[in-house]
Amino acid sequence: MKKAVSVMVLVAVAALTIFCFGSVASAGEEIKMVGVITKIDIAGKDAKTATATLKDNKTEQLVVITVEDDLTLDKFKDHRIVEGDEIRCKYEVIDGKNVSKLFRKTAGC
Amino acid sequence: MSKKTTAAAVLGLALAATTAWAAGMHPGKESIEKSGYKGPETCEECHPGSAKGFLDTVHWKHASKVTNVEGINAKEEYGMKNRIYVMCNGNDIVNNLKEIPKSPVTGKSKFSGCNTCHPGNHLSDVGSTGAAAEAAVDCLVCHSTDYDFRQRKPFKNEKGEVVMGQDRSTKAALAIGKPTVKNCMVCHEAAGGGVIVKRGFSFTKDTDAHAAKGMVCVDCHKAKNHKMPTGHDPNNWANDGVFVSCSDTSCHGVKPHKDADLNRHCAKIACQTCHITRTGGAFAKDFTVWEQTPDKFYEPTTLKKEANETTPVYAWYNGTVKNTPHFIGPKGSKKDGKSKITPFKIFQGKAYYNKQTGELLSMDFAQPMSDGDTRAGVLSAAKTLGLKNPEKIAKEAVPGWQTIYFGSNHLVTKTKALYCANCHAPNGVLNFKDLGYSDKEILKLTSPELFMEKLAQKQKEDW
Repeated sequence: MKKAVSVMVLVAVAALTIFCFGSVASAGEEIKMVGVITKIDIAGKDAKTATATLKDNKTEQLVVITVEDDLTLDKFKDHRIVEGDEIRCKYEVIDGKNVSKLFRKTAGC
Repeated sequence: MSKKTTAAAVLGLALAATTAWAAGMHPGKESIEKSGYKGPETCEECHPGSAKGFLDTVHWKHASKVTNVEGINAKEEYGMKNRIYVMCNGNDIVNNLKEIPKSPVTGKSKFSGCNTCHPGNHLSDVGSTGAAAEAAVDCLVCHSTDYDFRQRKPFKNEKGEVVMGQDRSTKAALAIGKPTVKNCMVCHEAAGGGVIVKRGFSFTKDTDAHAAKGMVCVDCHKAKNHKMPTGHDPNNWANDGVFVSCSDTSCHGVKPHKDADLNRHCAKIACQTCHITRTGGAFAKDFTVWEQTPDKFYEPTTLKKEANETTPVYAWYNGTVKNTPHFIGPKGSKKDGKSKITPFKIFQGKAYYNKQTGELLSMDFAQPMSDGDTRAGVLSAAKTLGLKNPEKIAKEAVPGWQTIYFGSNHLVTKTKALYCANCHAPNGVLNFKDLGYSDKEILKLTSPELFMEKLAQKQKEDW
């Protein structure tokens, strides 16, 4: 009995730890990253959505970001933002997509 | 050609232009389609003298005579071209667009310079004049909504000179018109080292009441012959000699409220104080310590917030500016009869000072951007400016801070404007003590007695 209780406590502690400190993003949570654009996919001048693949500077993982705001889409369309640009990005996971809430070039004059 | 024929031709052109404008199109499309776009000479067909006139504006010269700032020579011109202050620390002269030394880590170089936003081709650069300069004006970067920014990149020509590219395609030229918000923001949103860094505002329907009404930058900054009206920002010195004000009769006038008590405030309180309650952008920078970025180049250490994420500070401002090596900001007082309480974005920057003279030194970013060596940047700038003993100056340079008050003139709100109790309460938004009010005045100014009866009546009516 004691052993079973100990195991249950350990499992509970482990679960709590993962819940508190886990890096897996849950829906509604805003995630920040800085990374370099490796690819932009946008379907023409009238596109209302686009995806940009960023290589996270910290983890070197590729993260696909869905962009829906008009200002950033316009910057993709006229190439003010292009592949190779470093981006400061905030996104939320919504229905399995990483939806951009902020998408800014880090560079300026 | 007879007088009658000439008059008919002029009338015909005017009619065609009016018809095109009415249809929302810029006239002259057929001509551009037929002959292609050849730069300013194409624009000059309908706008003769525009290119030459543009060379005499702040957008081209990055400088002008400045009459409201202390401690400078009234006969000289000042601006991004030559100023030394801690938001940028470099300027067009010391930090001219060039290829920086290769990174010792990656072996890669890149182009960098303060004048990358200059609407010329860099061969005809800031303040240049003459036929070549007129031909180099990039009209479309401000006037086209279909500009391909892949073209607007620096490159080296066959002589090894650094040239700034332009999109001079017919496609871009066919999309000309009054500058949109985007046209202005191409340069103005990324000034000072990144998006929203310098001015700390974004002009969108979510952040500005004027943008929400569909207005664009040039509705207020309405240029005539490319002379651009500006406000009286203590840190924005260069100007075209024309100014914009909320109280212009064509905008809000001198009695903008229905309520006489609110209008009475306008005598001592700037419109921005109640209607621009937030600011943002960089609030501190350190030019003496640069951080390595993931591409292994370096950037000045910068602390920043988004638009609307910080609050302004308030001071009396009479339109004149105190200018010392450690402070650039508003002059004014409660008693001078000219000042208004005005909000400012506060910014502090650390940079090197001349040990002998105490003057703020400027920096060429090329070397520090490559390897983080900031004193090498000071040395290069000191040499460019012809200072005596540049090696000694750079070696002995002393780090120090400068505080700057930036004008806070955008992010206008009507619905979230300050109301009575925001200021007229103890520990309210305005620090009346610091603003020069006596204890007796403060007691009166921070009591609900001022507004109780009136607001109680209004509350009744509202509900």
